[in-house]
Amino acid sequence: MSQASSIVTVQSRSALWRTLGCGIAMTCALSAGQALAQQTIRFGAPLPLTGALAPEALKQQQGYDLWAEVVNRAGGIDVGGKKMKVEIIYTDYQSNTPRAVQAAEKLISQEKVDFLFSPFGSGAAKAASTVSERYGVPTIASTASSSQVYDQGYKFLFGTFTPNETLTSPLTDIVRKAAPNVKRVAILARNDLFPLAIAQEMEKSAKSRGLELVLFEKYAINTMDHSSALAQIKAAKPDWIFATGYINDLVLLKKQMGDQRIEAPVVTMIAGPAYQEFIDAAGAGAENISSAAWWHPASQYNGTDVFGTTANYVKLFSEKYKSVPDYAQASASVSGALFQIAIEKAGSLDKAKVRDAMAAMDVVTFWGPVRFGANGQINSLEPPVFQIQGGKAVVVFPAAIKQGDFKLGVK
Amino acid sequence: MYTLQILVNGIVLGCLYACIAAGFSLVWGVLNVINLMHGSFIVLGSYLAWGAYNTMGISPWLTVLIAAPLFYAGGYLVQRGLLNRVIAAPVLVTLTLTFGLDLILNNAMILAFRADYRSLILDPPLGTIAMGSVVVPVDRLVAMLFALVLTGVLYLILRRSRVGRAIIAVRLDRDAATLMGVDVKATNAAAFGLGAGMAGCAGVLMALIFPISPLSSTAYLGKAFVVCVLGGLGSVPGAVLGGLLLGLVESFGAMAFGPEHAVTLSFSLLILFLVLRPQGLLGKRGFE
Repeated sequence: MSQASSIVTVQSRSALWRTLGCGIAMTCALSAGQALAQQTIRFGAPLPLTGALAPEALKQQQGYDLWAEVVNRAGGIDVGGKKMKVEIIYTDYQSNTPRAVQAAEKLISQEKVDFLFSPFGSGAAKAASTVSERYGVPTIASTASSSQVYDQGYKFLFGTFTPNETLTSPLTDIVRKAAPNVKRVAILARNDLFPLAIAQEMEKSAKSRGLELVLFEKYAINTMDHSSALAQIKAAKPDWIFATGYINDLVLLKKQMGDQRIEAPVVTMIAGPAYQEFIDAAGAGAENISSAAWWHPASQYNGTDVFGTTANYVKLFSEKYKSVPDYAQASASVSGALFQIAIEKAGSLDKAKVRDAMAAMDVVTFWGPVRFGANGQINSLEPPVFQIQGGKAVVVFPAAIKQGDFKLGVK
Repeated sequence: MYTLQILVNGIVLGCLYACIAAGFSLVWGVLNVINLMHGSFIVLGSYLAWGAYNTMGISPWLTVLIAAPLFYAGGYLVQRGLLNRVIAAPVLVTLTLTFGLDLILNNAMILAFRADYRSLILDPPLGTIAMGSVVVPVDRLVAMLFALVLTGVLYLILRRSRVGRAIIAVRLDRDAATLMGVDVKATNAAAFGLGAGMAGCAGVLMALIFPISPLSSTAYLGKAFVVCVLGGLGSVPGAVLGGLLLGLVESFGAMAFGPEHAVTLSFSLLILFLVLRPQGLLGKRGFE
């Protein structure tokens, strides 16, 4: 009996040690696990992966993924001496702006992301910026150009696109110089935040340089037929047709312009001609269509960011995706690169410190020189103006990266 | 002035709208099934045309003949296999089922083809015809003629063929039709097949005119709805009239009120018709 009880005692004692040992091991594992979890910096990216804006989301995702891959290959971001890898958490908001706001909230409050990339476009970026401001999460909008996005006095929102007038003013000057006979301007705008805003900037640019605005019309989102609007434009006999919208609208517009035999010395379209998909879809009708964008792969910047020179960025992108990047992907990549520079400068992941480092940013990147204005929008870029010539986009401004001269005549 | 141009634009557009809506109207009016997959069928037809032209050089005019039996067979199978199980249920049940099927079809297309917009560019291009001061693109004109021929063929099938008369009989009185020896299941499937066939052919024609993407399906469905309400359900001449009315209202409305209000105008017209004349211009129960 006493032996049995001593065996039980021994057993229960070793059981006790076993339990204690397991407990200690588990606590170590848990805390190690938590410490491991803190090894990555989490970036939230709400994107319209499905729905009408899905093509745009794809471009942004390509840009973010390329940056994450390049930075992780180099060991990660240097946070006060410790290298931490980057993790991007994507959420699909189905091209629905209210859902974009919800997605941002979920990423911040549930997924506990450290930093945020804005959803696509000026409208959704503005809506979601309220959430990130409330939680104090530094956010970069990689596709929001309208200054209305940045007019709420927020401190945590930054943008990589310069305001719309930086696209229309140089363009107007180029046209005036290349074609002094161009006097009459007709504007057709999609009734949406960015396309309408940039059309209104064009109106201002044109009027301030003495051009005559003969027509300003808007078309509804999801318009399937532009015949009437184009019939009105044809009747107004403009020298310069300025059309805004997204790629599907502009491809249809150009086709219907051809259908109605509308010709003009200058035709400008924003924002579609920058994409190779537009050139492919528009075919021969795309010849001599001009446009402006915030970046062009022909740029020659020597950056201090993780990509270095513009040429190097284009090379890395082409290797990974077998295509040439346009400004949408480049803007997404530089947003990541700017976070990296700000975090490394702040030396920590403290949101307020990173925010201050971002606000004081003054660097040259593969995207161009980056300085943010007081409202958070970048104000240091010189957006290139380009024209589709021979089925390719040819840069005509600024002089430093000019590839060709501005040509007249669009059929 | 350019009023004549707008008139011609409206008529051409109207015939295209009629083609989009004819199959939808048939299925809704005769089967009492609101086929929310209709828009996606049209887009699938567009992709068929694009694929056939760009990989095998088959002209879209020929692809119409290929699309008709292909989509008929597909529609027949979908109805026979899935929709027939709920055909006797309230219309909202079939609507939910077709909604779910449309989600699957549409997202499958996004996965397979990606959401970017593609264009079917004919080489050499068909160009434009000028008649006085009016310019008409040839591809729209030929598509319009094909659309009218297709709706004409559909009308003849419904009026003259055994299958067509059976479809109408089932709608008018299902039990009486069964007593007359009509195979109701097969007839329902045939009706849906006809609707799907029309949608596929319409898609092939639309490929020449509009950019192709799975995201356009809701736009086509929206137009089909409005045309059905305007023209009346289950009536092929009604679809043509409704389409023409919509095309003309949008074209002249854009001229009068500005292009940004054209879509608002068409849906205001829809509401007006629903309030004042819900059966549409030529709508009757069953078929005339």
